[in-house]
Amino acid sequence: MARYGMLINTKKCVGCFACRLACQAKNHLEPTEAFIKFHELETGEFPNVYNEIVPTQCQHCEDAPCAAVCPTHATYITDSGVVLVDPEKCIGCKYCMAACPYGARIVQESTGVVEKCRFCYENGEPGNPPACVGTCISGARVFGDLDDPESDVSQAIAKYHAQPLASNLTESKIYYVR
Amino acid sequence: MFEDVSRRTFLKGTAATAALAAAGSLSLGAWRDQAQAAEAGGMSGEVRQAPSLCNGCSSKCGLVATTVGGKLYTLKGNETHPYSKGRICGRGHGLAQMAYSDERVTQPLRRKDNGEFEPIDWDTAFKEIGEKVKGIVAKSGPESLAIIQDPRPSGKYYSKRFMNALGSPNVYAHSSSCNLSKESAYMQTMGASNYSTDFGNAKMVMFIGRSYGDGIRPSSVQSLASAKEAGTRIVSVDPRLNNSGIFSSDWVPINPGTDLAFIMALCNVLIEEDLYDHEFVEQNTVGFDEFAAQAQEYTPEWAAKITDVPAERIQELARALAKAAPAASIESGWRAVIGCSYQNSFETARAASAVNALLGSYGAKGGALLTSSPSAGKLTDARFADPAKPEAKRVGNKEYPLALDSAGTNLAALKAALDGSMKGLFFYNSNAAKGYAQPKTWTEALQKTDLVVTIDVQMSETALQSDYVLPEVTYLERLELPEFIGGKKHFVGMRTAAIDKVLPDAKTCDEIFNGLAEACGVGEYFQFTAEDLATAQLATVGVDIDVMKKDGVVELPDPNFKYGVPKFKTPSGKFEFSTEAVGAAGLNPVIGYIPRKVTPKDGEFYIVGGKQGIHSHTMTQNIECLNAISREYHMERLWISAQDAEKLGVQTGDTVEVASSEHTGQVEARVTQRLKPGVVFLPTHYGGDSPVQTRAYQYGIALTDFIPFDMEPGTGSMMSQEVAVTVKKVEA
Repeated sequence: MARYGMLINTKKCVGCFACRLACQAKNHLEPTEAFIKFHELETGEFPNVYNEIVPTQCQHCEDAPCAAVCPTHATYITDSGVVLVDPEKCIGCKYCMAACPYGARIVQESTGVVEKCRFCYENGEPGNPPACVGTCISGARVFGDLDDPESDVSQAIAKYHAQPLASNLTESKIYYVR
Repeated sequence: MFEDVSRRTFLKGTAATAALAAAGSLSLGAWRDQAQAAEAGGMSGEVRQAPSLCNGCSSKCGLVATTVGGKLYTLKGNETHPYSKGRICGRGHGLAQMAYSDERVTQPLRRKDNGEFEPIDWDTAFKEIGEKVKGIVAKSGPESLAIIQDPRPSGKYYSKRFMNALGSPNVYAHSSSCNLSKESAYMQTMGASNYSTDFGNAKMVMFIGRSYGDGIRPSSVQSLASAKEAGTRIVSVDPRLNNSGIFSSDWVPINPGTDLAFIMALCNVLIEEDLYDHEFVEQNTVGFDEFAAQAQEYTPEWAAKITDVPAERIQELARALAKAAPAASIESGWRAVIGCSYQNSFETARAASAVNALLGSYGAKGGALLTSSPSAGKLTDARFADPAKPEAKRVGNKEYPLALDSAGTNLAALKAALDGSMKGLFFYNSNAAKGYAQPKTWTEALQKTDLVVTIDVQMSETALQSDYVLPEVTYLERLELPEFIGGKKHFVGMRTAAIDKVLPDAKTCDEIFNGLAEACGVGEYFQFTAEDLATAQLATVGVDIDVMKKDGVVELPDPNFKYGVPKFKTPSGKFEFSTEAVGAAGLNPVIGYIPRKVTPKDGEFYIVGGKQGIHSHTMTQNIECLNAISREYHMERLWISAQDAEKLGVQTGDTVEVASSEHTGQVEARVTQRLKPGVVFLPTHYGGDSPVQTRAYQYGIALTDFIPFDMEPGTGSMMSQEVAVTVKKVEA
């Protein structure tokens, strides 16, 4: 069984928002609803300054706080490691929003379900690739099977020594190059 | 023929097979996933894929739209297209949503005496416009008519044909507010309007004000990212650390509009330290001796005072370029300092191209490449014969003889309207009255004309000031003429009707011009559809239109690009450091220094504008999903350096008042370390004046409002940043 994850290379991200918009279309989100958020981090002082854009979304944690607090088990983790929400079970209590250390949860207005990135999961499999990865103009995003050392994502993680956003806090499966 | 797709029926029998056939390259799995995902969002119907070309910027990237029941679901880049390479940027995704905007122009509109608009039918619109055009031609001659357009595949063809059929030579592109100075300059120095950087082999590349990460073409960002990873030294000369900064090895913050002094000092070092490519210069250039004699005075110390870039840094950069040569070059630039912003933009572009000549990088591996472009062959069908070339010269050609011939300067038409000689103006895909020069001047000019007709999809500021507004379908709804793409390889792309028509009363470009031409009495030149012409044009390059409709982009025979000194199509056949035509236009024929026109005094700021990755000109600011991003991330804010902000007591989120000789406006501030002190930066997409565009209306401020109406000598560019402003905090 595969274990899906992603790499996001901030050294290639120019902040064009293509990922957010492709995701919105694919997942039928309203213009103001987004599974992907952007954080601009300016460091240093003029003229020795560096600017980094860090896109964040559901980190698909192995130890997912959102799943742990969900009173109805609407949030669950598939065998392939994708964190999903069962809309039939979600009661909209927002515990998951409070529990998620990455602020990745949003209330989807049309359904009331507290949603998030699902790696474009359809028909028992994640997107091939997910919409954000498919459209990324610079190839800053790489998706694949973390358990396969030959996969693009595993190779990229090794090459760049990519790390999860918050060390190993939640055993997340999105790796960052920063 | 197709049934609705649902979770239960999608694999049953012939419907699935037929839908699959229609879906082109979609695999069964992909198609099934799309159908299910679409259904989850309440979309139902047949799943299809159809190609088009993006309309988000002039790159016109190839894309593929997936539709469900004729409505757009998702977009992806066309893998074959050399600019998209399978990817679409944010503005591309966002612009596609324009088709379903609640604020499109839904039917032809006529302005009443009280300034309000009333809907009319197409026949009435054509008839009335036709009568007015005929009246203007009879009274003032066809040369008192003009069309201004932001070139698009069908639009540029039909605009020219329509004007020429009427007997008017006055066809203008938007270029005077874009890259006119650059393209005009390169025509003089090297006989081509552009060149490309051979990133894959480059050792050093210098950007003058341009940012691939803000004015985006996916393939360019990929090339830059790869070059960075391969260790190419990338230098960004810009008052602001732009969004390509992540790829830059060096950021050279410079006083805005002084790039020419910086570049001339690079030339000085290359010549005085004898670092230039003697063989290239002797064999492939003219005017070097005069150029070198003049460049003696442009020392790094001299430039340091003007640019605020230390002399040692200029020397180091020049030496590094020479060491990396010929795999080193100044990148060709686009808009900004080199395109239309200053009195010296044309000369800045000429100077940049001169650096590459000194480095011998033209045609070199890793250098600056002049590549070829394909075009359609001669058409035999008499219907497509061109109308006679108008006898009169285009208005502005005399005063601005250096303006690129295929573009002209539309501000000459504006001036002619101001003096009363231009009677009728047509705008196609162009919001000139907000974006191309001081808006008040446009308003004055439009009030003096007898007829203003705007063809657009939305009620822009220009449309609001027109006598007639004709609604076009959006680019995803229409087939257009083929677009030929040059480079190391050759391609042809085309728009198809990728989604179902959304508004029943909107028409395609060709339908509108055919109707106008008929009503104006020149219908004989318009006896065909865009598809008829596209079919014929494609046939001349051996491409079947049905293949085009399916694939969207087709590679043409390999032009067999080879490295080596290119053929310069100048009068001398060589790269020109000195050009007679430039002298004849009243400028120094030899590439040299010209200061910017307006320099801020004590207490004033330089102001620079720039593109953001999700927006294009003023066209996208009202699109709901893009406007939502701007608002969520406060992208309309004026950037101010931390040093200046501290002096003014301004913090991020505070409202500041910005004032120039022309205008005063208020906007929130963004305090940053990414900007040279003494400079403020304003994104150039905001400050809408059209109340009909409710999301964009009065959101942020617009740089054009702040600039005086003026034109660059020689080219007639808008000089978009020749102004100084004051900034003060607005106390709450």
